[in-house]
Amino acid sequence: MTPDEIAAHLTEATGAAERSDVAHGEVSVWVPNDKWVEVATHLRDCGRCHFDLPTFLTAVDLEEQGFEVVLHMYSVRRQHHVNVKTQLARDEPRLPTLSGVWNGLNWCERETWELFGIDFTGHPNQVKLLLPVEFEGFPLRKDFLLMTREAKEWPGLKEPAEVEH
Amino acid sequence: MGLTDKVNFPQPAKFILNWGRKYSLWVMNFGLACCAIELIAASTSRHDFIRLGVIPVAHGPRQADMLVVAGTLTDKMAPALKRVYEQIPEPKYVISFGSCSNCGGPFWDSYSVTKGVDQIVPVDVYVPGCPPRPEALLEGILLLQDRIGKESLKEHYQRREAEEPEPAFTSTVPIVVGGGSISDTSIRDE
Ligand code: SF4
Repeated sequence: MTPDEIAAHLTEATGAAERSDVAHGEVSVWVPNDKWVEVATHLRDCGRCHFDLPTFLTAVDLEEQGFEVVLHMYSVRRQHHVNVKTQLARDEPRLPTLSGVWNGLNWCERETWELFGIDFTGHPNQVKLLLPVEFEGFPLRKDFLLMTREAKEWPGLKEPAEVEH
Repeated sequence: MGLTDKVNFPQPAKFILNWGRKYSLWVMNFGLACCAIELIAASTSRHDFIRLGVIPVAHGPRQADMLVVAGTLTDKMAPALKRVYEQIPEPKYVISFGSCSNCGGPFWDSYSVTKGVDQIVPVDVYVPGCPPRPEALLEGILLLQDRIGKESLKEHYQRREAEEPEPAFTSTVPIVVGGGSISDTSIRDE
């Protein structure tokens, strides 16, 4: 299916797509939080989309607009991609787990939880995966303070355009 | 450890003992990131540190004489490094290879990288660079062999015992490759 066909198909089949956008040959579909599991299950089971490979699940910190969780899926058989996205509020971000739909997303969700502090309700084992157990805070949030930078600013130039020739 | 930690050997015996030790350094390869590739390159035919008597890939830390930490040490990995170091029998030496293991390198502001392995284990030789060329490691090894050749094992053991249970990181002057150490006779002959 082409990216536009996937978007149309999702809107039609689940009625969940809030909006969609095509960039770099891939479609992104935004769905409401409460349809998250339903859409993922549909993508897995529907014979037309046949998404059999969840490539990754991660989040984006949009600052005031909260967080956006992104699930990228690929169909090995049909060779098409989809990005399913959902927006979460900044305080107490919470989303139902997909580890019941795809077992492999278990670790992706653990990682997203420890790095962004997004709580995946119903997750069977939400403990730290990559960070030391004692680590405090959610380091990929934009308001996370890097203590080294607090102590001393990066002394060099930040952008190539700042270089004077 | 027998006699070596109790007796100051006369110079000829010390020379032969140290000569044997310095040309039979088994390496515990603690390769963690990109620098590990340079360490491996230094052990293969072109750079070939085997000709200096350094034997790559000890069967385990208990058979090793030297630990080369090559790459980015994260806080999660740090306990493993400490454990490997403690398993190596004395006399043991540590080379910190690359900017990451020296000071955090390009990850100087990271939330997860240990800024310098010398916070975890005492370091004898620092090899700077990102990554250092294999030749830099060869120079580091030569400088370390130089130090081993002049060392009194008795003093070495006494220093390590005084450091127990925590290593005191200031007890030896660390060697910095390219830091003028090869021409600075005060460091070479200390
Ligand atoms: S010092 Fe540079 S080359 Fe070496 S591990 Fe760090 S980033 Fe990689």
